[in-house]
Amino acid sequence: MHETNAFRPTRKSLMKTDPALFSALVAVWLSFAIFIFLPVIRLLITTFYVDGTFSLANMRKVLGTSYNIKALYGSLILATSVSIAGTFLGYIFALAVTRTALPRPLKVLLGAVTILPLISPPFTSSISLTLALGPNGMLLKALGIGDFSIYGFLGTWISETLTYFPVAFMVISAILNTMSATLDDAALSLGASRWRMFTTITIPLSLPGIGNSILLLFGASLADFATPLILGGHTFPVLPTEAYLMITGMFDLRGGATLSFLLLVPALLVFFLQRMLLGKKSFVSVTGKNGARTEFAKLPTALSVFICAVCLFIVVFILYLYAIILWGSFVKVWSVNNTFTLEHYAYVFKHGQKAISDTLLIAFLSTVIGSVLAVVIGYVAQRKQFFGKRFFEFTSMLNYALPGTVVGIAYIIAFNQKPILLTGTLSILVAAYVFRYYATGIRSVIASLEQIDPALEEASMSLGASSVRTFTHVTIPLIIPAVLAGMRYLFIHCMTAISATIFLVSVRWTLLTTRILESMTELQFSQASAFSMVLIVIVFLADALMLYLLKVTTSKFHKPQEISYEKVGA
Amino acid sequence: MKNVQKVLVLLILIALCSTVLFAQGVQEKPKAGGTLNVYSIMPEKYATKIFEEFTKDTGIKVNFVRLSSGEALARLIAEKANPQVDALWGGPADTYEAGVLEGVFDVYSPSEAEKVPAQFRSKDGYWTGIGIIPLTFLSNAKYLKDKGLNPPASWTDLLDPAYRNSLQMADARTSGTATERIYSLVKVYGEDEAYAYQKKLHQNVQLYTKGGAGGAMPIATGQAASGVFYIVDALDIQQQGYDLVISYPKEGVTYGVEASGIIKGAKNKAAAQALMDWASSKRLGEVMVANLINYIPTRPDVTVTNPSLDMSQVKLLEADSTWKGENRTRFVERWIAEVIQQ
Repeated sequence: MHETNAFRPTRKSLMKTDPALFSALVAVWLSFAIFIFLPVIRLLITTFYVDGTFSLANMRKVLGTSYNIKALYGSLILATSVSIAGTFLGYIFALAVTRTALPRPLKVLLGAVTILPLISPPFTSSISLTLALGPNGMLLKALGIGDFSIYGFLGTWISETLTYFPVAFMVISAILNTMSATLDDAALSLGASRWRMFTTITIPLSLPGIGNSILLLFGASLADFATPLILGGHTFPVLPTEAYLMITGMFDLRGGATLSFLLLVPALLVFFLQRMLLGKKSFVSVTGKNGARTEFAKLPTALSVFICAVCLFIVVFILYLYAIILWGSFVKVWSVNNTFTLEHYAYVFKHGQKAISDTLLIAFLSTVIGSVLAVVIGYVAQRKQFFGKRFFEFTSMLNYALPGTVVGIAYIIAFNQKPILLTGTLSILVAAYVFRYYATGIRSVIASLEQIDPALEEASMSLGASSVRTFTHVTIPLIIPAVLAGMRYLFIHCMTAISATIFLVSVRWTLLTTRILESMTELQFSQASAFSMVLIVIVFLADALMLYLLKVTTSKFHKPQEISYEKVGA
Repeated sequence: MKNVQKVLVLLILIALCSTVLFAQGVQEKPKAGGTLNVYSIMPEKYATKIFEEFTKDTGIKVNFVRLSSGEALARLIAEKANPQVDALWGGPADTYEAGVLEGVFDVYSPSEAEKVPAQFRSKDGYWTGIGIIPLTFLSNAKYLKDKGLNPPASWTDLLDPAYRNSLQMADARTSGTATERIYSLVKVYGEDEAYAYQKKLHQNVQLYTKGGAGGAMPIATGQAASGVFYIVDALDIQQQGYDLVISYPKEGVTYGVEASGIIKGAKNKAAAQALMDWASSKRLGEVMVANLINYIPTRPDVTVTNPSLDMSQVKLLEADSTWKGENRTRFVERWIAEVIQQ
């Protein structure tokens, strides 16, 4: 590590000028080395070393198959479509909550419904989507549509968009909320129309959020294997699913790993694209020079109506999908014997108790550790100058860009031998979650910092505060909404994600999501539904508790403005 | 305020370092003696009941995780240097054969091994069969009635255009049920003819599911018409009350041997051996019959009560586990190249 300060070359080593930054960097790099580089390197060795020598044989074999090339295109098309559609939907929902005259209870409902797809494992919504829109599906029958196939691109796209647009919603509404309303006022009082205000102020200022959202959704869709597994069918292969099938089905770790390395290329591309697009412009709107805070101006009427209509449609559709699951959890045998029963819940609490407490403990630990890391990394990457910064930022996102299946297998290979023996422990699950899902936290911290004028921090520093004091007393209070968004996402993901950790659960530590998938494959649809409902309720409650605690602890800094999450929360 | 600041720096550093410290990880040692750690390929609902009885009989407590056969094997191979479990429970014998080639299993001959017919256990003592499951056709009764079809009684019946886009069956890349289907077809038609058949069958397939039982629920709810399953999955969903028909092809079907084996380097070896002894005794078969777990016991001296498990009217084809294990990868690769990618 070269600790030269490129920004001010005349100054002495970082260790002396900014010891806090130095020690933070050392700690973070150390954790990267263990939990990001080590597994990836071990995996690379598995992929490219055959019998002790470097070999491209695995790569040649994989690229030589037309089906794999088709899967590469499939992944790119799907990720692009999902990131665009999901960001669009997320933006509309964020506008509805922050910029329209909808009554408050409705906004609360919007926020609450949005969380549903996020807090249930992706395969759960895929199943109810199949029941509604699949062959002979209930909704198709009700609408009289006969020939419609959900399997393939369309179903996967719909399901992933519904699953991931809440991420866009969370990231974008954080940005929309931290904008300065005085800009709106200024535009309007200077005679601009509401349309002009929207297109020249609201949209450009939310670009960092949109960019982040596209990056996050692209990455999420690129790595998701559960949805295409259920809905993709054989006509629409994507890389993570093919990699997963190769590893779990063909016992071909090398082939699967090689396939998933193809995913790194598009993931890297999007990452650099976003930096290029947003790197040069300034999006500062929190300057510390504001006058009194006013309400955001409302949107043009036509736009408001359109937004409300879209939201209504999506909300009704999501509620319908979840009603199917709720119903399934309370009837004796799905679609055959519709007698009300609580026996599935009794089963869940009798046989699933350990899974519930394990999942909660793991999610709690991961959220706390992950959030702290996310704030530090996001802050350091956006505000500080040091050697290898881009590489630092990229490294922090690596586990997120890699498909979960690969991360899971890489973790098993890396941590199953000395010196770091972790398989079968709680630590490996927590580490997998932290280094994979803190990405949203980092991204939203960076996006939020991009909007905050460094002059605020410079003022603090020039008044004699140290960098740590500036960080804790100026920066943190300003980025709390973004941290909150990241934390919630992290917690939710720890409760619901499965792709990496399905390889890491052990006889001693088990997860709710794997139990749900188990019930699904064992044809226990009712038990799976009951498990899902329990999971959804737990996440909802934990989420509400987290919001309450944060409200109490941050009220000092946020008296004049309300955080959007108080409005949209449970 | 200076102090507050220092405390905060310290706290952040502690939090950061704690993630690193996690690396040192307290390795949670499994309790020695009375416990046994197992990967179960057998569905959880069956394994729970069977292990409960085992614990009652022997006092050995069983911790287990249920995994698909591919996942279980991938894990056992990855964990070879530091085995996390003592035994593998359930799952097709050809998975065990593949594991033997990877050096995952230990040799053990259970005390009553001789009472289990030779084709239901490993020649070299790596695994012992615990149940037999033939393939079967499972169809939605209402669908058949609406289309005026008889339950399929031959493999060629499934090629009927009436089933167009309405069959669901397992994906050969992930499911032992699917590879069993290929073994059956190869035994019935010979290899090339079997693949020609599957290409035609592909026209009627709506979806290849990840798990062997994945298509059973869609068939039960009328989303799909028919499919090929192991009898244990087909009977299970029928017992839940759905209106379904089980039928067998007249050309015959092969059957899967559900096996069990001890992992090389097992930390609770004595307990694992106790499980193998128990599994090859009559006791396991009786537990399965009593709990409506629809495997046909490997011990011929266990009486089966469920008429659907009476195989006297079914043409069973013999397919040696070694042959299956040797050909599996090639069959699946050919299936991907010729059937899926056509």
